[in-house]
Amino acid sequence: MPANAVGATGGTILELRDITVEFSGFVAIAGLTLDVHEGELRCLIGPNGAGKTTALDVICGKVKPASGKVVLGGREITRLEEHQIARHGVGRKFQVPSVFRDLTVRQNMEVALCRAPGVLGNLFRFGNSGASEQLEKLAELVGLEEAMDVAAGALSHGQTQWLEIALLLAQDARLILMDEPTAGMTAHETAKTAELFNRLKGRHTLIVVEHDMGFIKEISDIISVMHQGRLLAEGTVREIETNAEVRAAYLGSGGISGA
Amino acid sequence: MDGQRKHPIWAKLVGYAAFCLVILILPLFITDDYLLNKFARYLVFGLVAMALSISWGYAGILNLGQAVSFGLGSYCMAMALKLRTIPIQTGAEGLPDFMVWNNVKSLPWFWEPFHSYGFAIAAGVLVPTILALLIGTFVFRARVTGVYVSIITLALLVVINLVVIDRQRLTGGFNGLTDLAPLELFGLTFDPYAHATYYLIAVSLGAALFLGLAVVHSKTGLIMQAIRDDENRVRYFGYDVAAYQTFALCLSAAVAGFAGMLYTLVMAFASPTFLAVPVSLSIVIWSAVGGRASLLGSAMGAIIVTGVQGSLSDTPAFLETWTLIMGALFIVVVLFLPRGLISLVDRIPLGGSARRRAAAATVAASRSGINAG
Repeated sequence: MPANAVGATGGTILELRDITVEFSGFVAIAGLTLDVHEGELRCLIGPNGAGKTTALDVICGKVKPASGKVVLGGREITRLEEHQIARHGVGRKFQVPSVFRDLTVRQNMEVALCRAPGVLGNLFRFGNSGASEQLEKLAELVGLEEAMDVAAGALSHGQTQWLEIALLLAQDARLILMDEPTAGMTAHETAKTAELFNRLKGRHTLIVVEHDMGFIKEISDIISVMHQGRLLAEGTVREIETNAEVRAAYLGSGGISGA
Repeated sequence: MDGQRKHPIWAKLVGYAAFCLVILILPLFITDDYLLNKFARYLVFGLVAMALSISWGYAGILNLGQAVSFGLGSYCMAMALKLRTIPIQTGAEGLPDFMVWNNVKSLPWFWEPFHSYGFAIAAGVLVPTILALLIGTFVFRARVTGVYVSIITLALLVVINLVVIDRQRLTGGFNGLTDLAPLELFGLTFDPYAHATYYLIAVSLGAALFLGLAVVHSKTGLIMQAIRDDENRVRYFGYDVAAYQTFALCLSAAVAGFAGMLYTLVMAFASPTFLAVPVSLSIVIWSAVGGRASLLGSAMGAIIVTGVQGSLSDTPAFLETWTLIMGALFIVVVLFLPRGLISLVDRIPLGGSARRRAAAATVAASRSGINAG
C-alpha cells in the first residue's frame, strides 16, 4: 500500500485529463491536464481565481467535472462519491482547518484511522484501536504529544492546522491534497511545516496549493502553475521564476515571488 | 468550557449502575400503587429522552418527530391488547368495539397479525425503525442537514398524527384505543399498577442505558460524534456519513418505539396525543435540561422535569403557576448550563483530572509556538 515507496518518485499516480468545471456559466477549470508521480511533492500555484482549489475539489470528489476524467493509480475515480474516493487513498486538508472540536486529539486521530468504514462492524470496536503507539508517534511528529487528551477546540490555530495534517497521516492516504497548509501560521511554524513535508516526500504523494513562495522553495520538486483554469507552465522553481508566460500571468504583482 | 473533559469510562459506569440500583429498589419504599404507576411513567419518559440523546446529542440530528416512533410503538402494543379484551367490550367475531360502532364488518388485514404478542412486540420496535430507515435514507443521501432535518421530521409527525385521527374506523381516531386487556406474558400480568410493570420498565431503562453506553463508546459512536462536529471532514476520511446518520436515527427510533409500548402498558390506552407535536417538543426539552450529549443526563432530565411537573401540578398552591415555574426552570438551565444538568456532575473533580488539567495548561502555554522535532 502507501508508505513503502520510499525514495525517488515512481510512476504516475494521478492523471487529470481535460477537466472542465463550470459553476452556473462561470468556467472555473477549462481543460486542465495534469500528471503527478508517485512519492512526489507537487506545488500548485497561480493567481487568485486560477482554479487551484477547484482542482483539488475535483480530485477528492467534492466537485464533479462537466467533462474530463480523473485516474488514480490506474483506476478512474471521476464519478465516485467522496467517501469512496477517500477509500481509494485520497486525503484532503481544507483551507479552513477542520477538525472535530468536541473530541480529544486522540479521538480525532482514531476517527481519521479509517481501517474499516462500516457502521455495524464499528459497533463492536471499543476504546483505542490498538494503534495507540502509531498515533502517539504521529502526535509527536506534529508536537501534540502532550495534548492527546485535550479537546481539539482548545488548540491554537497553528496547532489545529498541525492536528489536521496529523489526521491525514493517520488516514495514511496515498495521495494527500493540502490547501494552503501554512495559512495563519507563524514564520516559525511554517518552517517546521516545511521540514515535516520534506520528510513526507517519497512515503506519500502530496499536492500542495500555496501562496507563500518562501515555503514553496523549501519543499517543492516541481511546480505546476495554473492560470484561468488551465495549466500554464510546469517546472522547477528556477524554471518557473524565469518563465515569461508566468510573469505575464502575474502581471502587476511582480511575478510569482510577489504573489 | 471547550477544554472541559468528561469523566473516564469507569466513573460513568459507576454512575449508571448507581442510577439503575436506585430505580430498582425504589418500589421497596413506595407502598402507594398510584405513586408507583406515576414513577413508572417518568421512567418511560426517561427512556424516550435517552433515545433522542442518541440521535441529537451524539449524531447531531434533532429529530422533532420522535413522537412518531413513540406513538407507533404505543399503538402496536395497544392493538395486540385490544384484540384480547374480554368479550363484553368486543363486538361480534372478536371485532374491537369502536369498529362495531363504525360499521366495520370484518377485522382489517393489518390488524390480523396482532393476535400474536410476538408479532406485536416485534412490530412496536421494527415499524418505527423501518420508517426511520426510509426517512434517513432519503434525507441523508440527499445531504439534508441541520434545521431542515428537524422540519422534515416535524412535518412527518403532523401528517401521521392526522392520518391516525382521520382513519377512525381503523385506528379509533381521536379516542385512541381504550379498554385494553392487561399484557400477560411469562405468567406475569402487566397491568398499570402492578409491580411487575414497574420492574419491566426499570429493567428496560437500565438495559437500554448500558447498551446505549456501549454504542456511543464504540467506534461507531465516535464517528457519530465526529459527524456532529464536522460532517464533511468525516466524509473525506472515507466514511459513508449518510449510513452513520441513518443508523443513529434508526437506533433512536427503535428505543423510542419500545418506550411507546411500555407507555401503553402503564397508561392502559393508546391515544393520538402520544403521537403529537407537544410530546415531541417535551422530549427535546427533557433531553436539553438533562444534557443532550449524555444518555443518563437525558433520562434524568425527563424524570426530573416530569416529576417536578407532576408534583407542582398536584400542589394546590401552584395550581395556576406551575407552567410558569417550569418555563423559568427551562430558561435558567439553557442559559446557565448549556450542556444540561449533567454538566454539574462533570465538574466534580476525580483523581485522573489533575493530569488532564496539567495537560491543558501545557497546551495553553505552548499556544504561541509548536515545539516539534
